[in-house]
Amino acid sequence: MTVLKDITLGQYFPGDSIIHRLDPRAKMILSILYIVAIFFAKNVFSFVILTLSAILLVLISRIPLLTVLRGLKPVFFILLFTMVINLFLTTSTEESPLFAWNIPVFSWTWQITIYRIGILRAIFTALRVILLLSVSSVFLTYTTSPITLTDSLEDLMGPLKVIRVPVHDIAMIITIALRFIPTLIEETDKIMNAQKARGADFATGSLVRRAKALIPVLVPLFVSSFKRADDLAIAMECRCYRGGEGRTKLHKLRYHLRDLLAAILMVALFASVLFVNHINPLGIGL
Amino acid sequence: MSILELREVSYVYGEGTPFEKIALDRVSVSFERGVITGLIGHTGSGKSTLVQLLNGLLRPRSGTVLLDGVDIWEKPKEIGKIRHRVGLVMQYPEYQLFDETVRADIGFAPRNMGLSTDEVEARVREAADFVGLGEELLDQSPFALSGGQKRRAAIAGIMAMRPDVLVLDEPAAGLDPLGRREILGGLRKYQRTSGTTVILVSHSMEDMAEYCDRIVALNHTKVFMEGSVDEVFSHARELSEVGLDIPHIARVALELQKCGVPLSGNLYTIEGVAVAYHRALVEKNGHTASGEEGNDRA
Repeated sequence: MTVLKDITLGQYFPGDSIIHRLDPRAKMILSILYIVAIFFAKNVFSFVILTLSAILLVLISRIPLLTVLRGLKPVFFILLFTMVINLFLTTSTEESPLFAWNIPVFSWTWQITIYRIGILRAIFTALRVILLLSVSSVFLTYTTSPITLTDSLEDLMGPLKVIRVPVHDIAMIITIALRFIPTLIEETDKIMNAQKARGADFATGSLVRRAKALIPVLVPLFVSSFKRADDLAIAMECRCYRGGEGRTKLHKLRYHLRDLLAAILMVALFASVLFVNHINPLGIGL
Repeated sequence: MSILELREVSYVYGEGTPFEKIALDRVSVSFERGVITGLIGHTGSGKSTLVQLLNGLLRPRSGTVLLDGVDIWEKPKEIGKIRHRVGLVMQYPEYQLFDETVRADIGFAPRNMGLSTDEVEARVREAADFVGLGEELLDQSPFALSGGQKRRAAIAGIMAMRPDVLVLDEPAAGLDPLGRREILGGLRKYQRTSGTTVILVSHSMEDMAEYCDRIVALNHTKVFMEGSVDEVFSHARELSEVGLDIPHIARVALELQKCGVPLSGNLYTIEGVAVAYHRALVEKNGHTASGEEGNDRA
């Protein structure tokens, strides 16, 4: 099934750029800082700074810019929708509309107004989503393997152990889930082929019919998933797995100088966004 | 007379990506009607790709697949009909069982063919009979069966389509010796009574020698050897060079010949070698063999 092959989950791009080598925990924190900065930004200048730094980040990471942009394709319609909503529904009492049309609809008139602030909001909201997704995916999915990601998640959530959150178990569950996604896709593919060989038809008919056609795929998939989970549990017990208590790590995460430098740069970016927000040099802002 | 034929068929996985891999390279091969053809080849030689091309699960990048002389992709919309005529039992077919009862599961394919309830029932019984599943098992859940029974139920699920060609990808993989014999022996009986053309993929040269009439050997995306079982297994050296083998007993026969025992005839099944050895002894000792050595025959 080509449909299943197209699912690009965890599009990790192996590489050796400085971004790749940053500590995954640092990358998580940096992403969060950047996202907060995005939501603080409120004028043209701060957005220019954020956009430039995002482009710089992509260049340094050596991920093709086109790949990052293509990764935004799934949210294209959401972007379009929010832009349209912002454009037409934003009203202001402080300024007069740039455009105003009166469209007669049967017995009443429908007034469409576009304000300056509406245009700005539309652009800013779209930019926010684009920047948020591209920067966090460069930091967290393109340059960090899923396994190190969950590893660092466990580490960052460490303090929650005090209030008895099973941090290690959560991380292990995520790791296993990620590990088995490709396996499940392959398995689904196989079972679909086997049922097609028995004349099953997944591609035609009404929606209900097609949903029903999936039963012969889902039942075996569930059965084998449960069996696999059971086997895995036994295999883990055989290797004396007893949860996170007293467990040491083969690849221990360590912060380096570059992580500190990256953090300083990010804080500088954050500060400059706040600063530019405050002075608003061109006077274009919300 | 061939029933299924591949002409210059190529297939490539992940074309245009960094993971591109040629699975079959301009393969031409024909499968004869009414016989069991064995398909051998080491892992990654393209066997599984080839069997999926035979019933249109995969579409060749170039070349044609002919069923009774007609291109199966002539009308892509009707590929479903081809799949009913070329039944494919995939590897570990027990993973495809899903219905509430064995009866319903075996009947899945005939139901998809749009047959009447009576006809479906008749085919289910016939197929269950071929694979040796008793009446009492038909109303059980397929998940309650043993491993070997599940495998047989899955094979029956394909046989119930009454295909012109039955293709089986490693039907005996992972079964114990008794399970193997039951499945492959049943298959042989099925082939002889129904006259269906059978294509059997296996790693076991012993199974090939015992159950097949013809053999097609694949090596690195190409057909390496094709012919009757005798012809193919007479090329022991070439086979082992490409990571394949001849049956153990055939190697025993070769060693015996090296030691000067004049063996001739069918030298790739245990029975055949025993007969040949007995004959050699008879020729050596005059007209009767001595008692204990004569027992080799049994």
